[in-house]
Amino acid sequence: MEERLSRETQWPFEFRQCTTILKATGMKASNLKELRHIISIVSDDSIFHHTYQYFLKEHILEYTNDFAHWAGESLEERAIAEELSNIDPYECGSIGELRSALLSVIDSCLARVPGDRNTLPGDEFFFNETITYVFPAGVWARNLAEFLMALKFVDAGSIYYHFYEARMRVPGSFDDFSLWMDQALNKKELADKVRAIDPFMHSTSEIRAYISEIVMQEVSRDMERTGVNL
Amino acid sequence: MIERYSGISPKGDLILLRKLADRLADKTFLHINSTREGGGVAEILQRMIPIMSSLGIKARWDVITGDDRFFDMTKKVHNALQGYPETIDEDMWDHHRAVNETNATLLDLEADATIIHDPQPLPLINFRKNGVWIWRCHIDVSNPQKDVFGEIGKYVSKFDAALYSVSRFAGGMSRNEFIVSPSIDPLAEKNRELGRNEIEETARRLDIPLDRPVVLQVSRFDRFKDPTGVIMAYRKVKKYNDCVLVLAGSPATDDPEGAAVLNEVRQFASNDPDVRILLLPPFSDKDINALQRIAAVILQKSLKEGFGLTVTEGMWKGKPVIGGAAGGIPLQITHGVTGFLVHSIEGTAFRIRQLLNNSDMAGRMGQQAREYVRRHFLITRQVRDYLAVWYALSEGMKSLIEL
Repeated sequence: MEERLSRETQWPFEFRQCTTILKATGMKASNLKELRHIISIVSDDSIFHHTYQYFLKEHILEYTNDFAHWAGESLEERAIAEELSNIDPYECGSIGELRSALLSVIDSCLARVPGDRNTLPGDEFFFNETITYVFPAGVWARNLAEFLMALKFVDAGSIYYHFYEARMRVPGSFDDFSLWMDQALNKKELADKVRAIDPFMHSTSEIRAYISEIVMQEVSRDMERTGVNL
Repeated sequence: MIERYSGISPKGDLILLRKLADRLADKTFLHINSTREGGGVAEILQRMIPIMSSLGIKARWDVITGDDRFFDMTKKVHNALQGYPETIDEDMWDHHRAVNETNATLLDLEADATIIHDPQPLPLINFRKNGVWIWRCHIDVSNPQKDVFGEIGKYVSKFDAALYSVSRFAGGMSRNEFIVSPSIDPLAEKNRELGRNEIEETARRLDIPLDRPVVLQVSRFDRFKDPTGVIMAYRKVKKYNDCVLVLAGSPATDDPEGAAVLNEVRQFASNDPDVRILLLPPFSDKDINALQRIAAVILQKSLKEGFGLTVTEGMWKGKPVIGGAAGGIPLQITHGVTGFLVHSIEGTAFRIRQLLNNSDMAGRMGQQAREYVRRHFLITRQVRDYLAVWYALSEGMKSLIEL
């Protein structure tokens, strides 16, 4: 019993979540040159929205940011889409650095691609920003079993906040979940498994399912050990 | 009242709604449009005002009045903003202003936040007293007639913010332009679950056969909804699959062209007994609900569209919807996943046949459609967005707000 109690942390995990309200910048691009120009002048908030917040939307994950998605689907420039998809925003120290990385890929593509095709009217890239609301999801977890239940219960906006958005807040670019497992529960191995998930290759629902699975295995192991002792 | 949405709407929407309402409690929120019945705007306001009131916000809904000349003119404005050529002279704009000036003397415009819906009541901004003023544009203004857009823009620029249903409608008329999709109320008569008896009663009364597949389009009788194109698509399908086409709509008091279009459609159908044209009285919500549940396939073959709430309604009934790739329809229908997007009469006919001949695919698409609507297009999300925009404006438009 003491062993089980010891696994209940004094630092419960408080689930929070975020929701965004979309705000138009009024700027739109019909081709790659226009896209490049606007990326060079648009607000940091807009760059943030079209890259970091990509995973807050429910995409069919062929790309990793809105620019790549548009280049692939609307311009039908698959190679450019692939190159833009390979930019990792979490490796960039600032929005300015990320902006430069995007411009560099587009510049190199523009140098290679002979013509710059236009999209059909209505299919342009519309630059948006967001106002982000962050608020408690009203769910707490004091141990892994509660965490497992909560993970199934919270909205996708909560998974996004703790798994993606956290990388901008948490030192070392970690997610909140693994940080809690490591520091509050002292489960370094479990934390490492969560940190090994490639954030770009999954939707929030896949992230939820994957973390649930590895936490379920951990809880099962804990229960079996505890059961013998009890 | 908000508790009734628990288990239906996403939890996060309900939590944020309460947190925003706590901060805006006892403040007044005024909505103004030009019709109490007919069309999506009136429908959603009927449902939204009680929700806001139940959250402790003093919500009001007022309607401006006008003569036939006013509504003829505003219909032309509506058409011109959607790209249909119209001539609107200075006298007409003067009348637009004058009618709103009269309304301004009759309405109580004192409110902490005011939302003006669509172009009809726009000049009321000239009589602004206090609070935040927001223009809510429900129509597709992505390719407007320039002169009309310019006149409308003169009013819109005086607002604190403008709301559009889709990104590409945002036209740079206001310094703060937000994208807020419209929504449906899952608890409304039009969307609630219906018993078998209720569905059969509607079918009997409206003479809709239940032993053959029904293809349905619910919309105003408006050329932009392409009702004759729907009949042409049905005729192509009919060569291969026995089915019944139902075109159902209600008259709207702010749409003087409706009767003329209805006559055109009746003539075009030329007494085909399997084409049922139903002019339903306003508030025929239960009948529309039943028709959508009876339908095997739902169409919204719009050529121009604001958002297309009939698409949302059909998807919520778990039905595959075939929609014209116009306005907000592509925002709802992910082609091949939550329905089909079409660009022609031929495409519409082909997709109807595909769905009539593959019930597994139709069922799967319908379920994915319903879940997509649950996450994105229920009324609780729209109330949340209205309150979130209002609160953000009052908080100085910070990009991150922690509650």
